[in-house]
Amino acid sequence: MAKHETPLLDQLETGPWPSFVTDLKRQAATKPECWDILGILELSYKDRITHWKHGGIVGVFGYGGGIVGRYADMPKQFPGVEHFHTIRVAQPSSKYYSTANLRQLMDLWEKHGSGMTNFHGSTGDIILLGTRTENLEPFFWDLTHDMGQDLGGSGSNLRTPANCIGHSRCEWSCYDTEEACYHLTQHYQDEIHRPAFPYKFKFKFSGCPNDCVAAIARSDVSVIGTWRDEIRIDQAAVKEYVAGNYPPNGGSHSGKDWGKFDIQKEVIDLCPTDCMWMEGGELKIDDTECTRCMHCINVMPRALRPGADQGASICVGAKAPILDGAQFSTLIVPFMKVEKENEFEELIEFIESIWDWWMEVGKNRERVGETMQRVGLPTFLKVMGIEPIPQHVKEPRSNPYVFWKEEEVEGGFERDVEEFRRKHAA
Amino acid sequence: MALDIEALKNAIEEKATKSPKPQLYIKDFYACDPDSKPRVIKNVANEMVREGRLMFWSSGSTTMYGIPSRIQDEEGEE
Repeated sequence: MAKHETPLLDQLETGPWPSFVTDLKRQAATKPECWDILGILELSYKDRITHWKHGGIVGVFGYGGGIVGRYADMPKQFPGVEHFHTIRVAQPSSKYYSTANLRQLMDLWEKHGSGMTNFHGSTGDIILLGTRTENLEPFFWDLTHDMGQDLGGSGSNLRTPANCIGHSRCEWSCYDTEEACYHLTQHYQDEIHRPAFPYKFKFKFSGCPNDCVAAIARSDVSVIGTWRDEIRIDQAAVKEYVAGNYPPNGGSHSGKDWGKFDIQKEVIDLCPTDCMWMEGGELKIDDTECTRCMHCINVMPRALRPGADQGASICVGAKAPILDGAQFSTLIVPFMKVEKENEFEELIEFIESIWDWWMEVGKNRERVGETMQRVGLPTFLKVMGIEPIPQHVKEPRSNPYVFWKEEEVEGGFERDVEEFRRKHAA
Repeated sequence: MALDIEALKNAIEEKATKSPKPQLYIKDFYACDPDSKPRVIKNVANEMVREGRLMFWSSGSTTMYGIPSRIQDEEGEE
C-alpha cells in the first residue's frame, strides 16, 4: 500500500512510455525506502524546489571518489531517504557483462542498498542509487573482494575512462580502444581514486570517427581513431551495391522500401567535401580532401574500409554541462600512433602535459576546455609545444591586428626604429 | 626552494585551520608553497587525508579539503 499520496507522479505513468514511477512502486514492495523517494519527489514537484542536500563527506577509506553523498533535507518526513548516497562502480571495458556478473552485482546492491540503479551514468560507469553511510564500507569490501570490481571516479578526479567496443567486434576500429582504456585506467589509479585537479577530467576512446562513445562531445581528452592513407576500396563490392545485390547500411533501415540503392544520391552527393565520383564504373575518392566523416563507409561497409595506416586524432576540451553551453573538443593532434607496444607513451606524455598546465592555470571548477577558451588556442598550443597547423584553424580570422611577441621581432622591441626606417624608406 | 614535506603539511594545515571557509579547493593550497609543483601539493594533501589531518568534502562534481572537525561541525555529523 502506498505510503505517500503521489498524484503528480501518478500522471507520469499514464503516458505510453515506460515509467520510472511504476518501477519505483514495484521496487518499493521489497525496499520500502523507495516509497520515500516517491514521496520526496512528489513534494519537490509541488514545492518546485529540490529537497536533496548537496554533497557531503562520505566515502570509503583511502578513496576520495566513487561515492557521492546525498541527504534529504526532510529526514523526519522521509526517513527512508535520510541518507541516500550514490555509488559509482567502474564498468568493464566496452560494457561487456556476463549475466553472472550482473546478478552478483544486483544481489550485492539489494543487500547493501535500495536496489535502484542507473545503467549507465553519462560518464559510463554503473550508478547505484541510494544507500546509508554505514553500508558503504561493507559494500566496498564485497565489491572489491568478492567481485574484483572497483569504484569509479567522482569529484575533482579523473573520471572512469570509457571506450567503444573497438577491435573486439568492430572492423572499423583504428586502434585497440579496450587496451588503451584498460592501460590508462590502471596507469592512473591514483588520479581516479583521489582528487587531483581543479575540476573533473575525462578521457574517452573511440576506435573510429563514428565516435560511438561520443568522446568529442563529452571528454576533456578525446582519442578518436583515424587513418592517414587512403580509404580502402573493393571495386567489385561497389558494383554489387550499385546492382542492388548488397543491402546498403549493413541492412539497417530496411523496415521500409526506400527504392533501389542510388550511389550518387545516397553516397556521392552526401560527401561533405565533394571528394567522391564515379569514373568508368569505378568509385574514385580524392583522399586528400576526405574529412573522415565515415558516411560512405557506413553506407557501403563491404566495399569501403578505413585506410591501413591507422592511429588516432586527439581532441581536447569537450564538456556537456546541463546549465551552460556544451562544447565539443578541439582538434589538437591530427594523427598519433596509439600503440600498446610503447605502452601508449606518446598519449600519456600528451595527457600529462595538459594536466601540468591545467593544474596550475585552471581556475577552480573550470574544465580544461574552458581554460583553453579563456587563454586562447594559440597560447594553449604554445604551452603544449605544438606548432600551429592548418587543421587548428576553425575559421578565417576576424581580427586584423597581429600581436607579435618580442622574440619574434628581429632586434626585439628595443631596436633602433629610425635606423630600420632609413633602410626601408618606402 | 620548495618546502620539505613536513613543513608543507604544516603550512597546509595552518591554511585550512585559519581559512574563513571550512572547505578549500586544492588550488587554495598552492599558495602554501609557490615553489612546489601542483602535483606535489595534491599528493601531500591526499596523504594528509590518509593521516586524518584533512578530510574530503565532495559535491559529487567537485572535491574540497578541510580540517575534519571544522567540516564535521558544518555538516552537523559525528
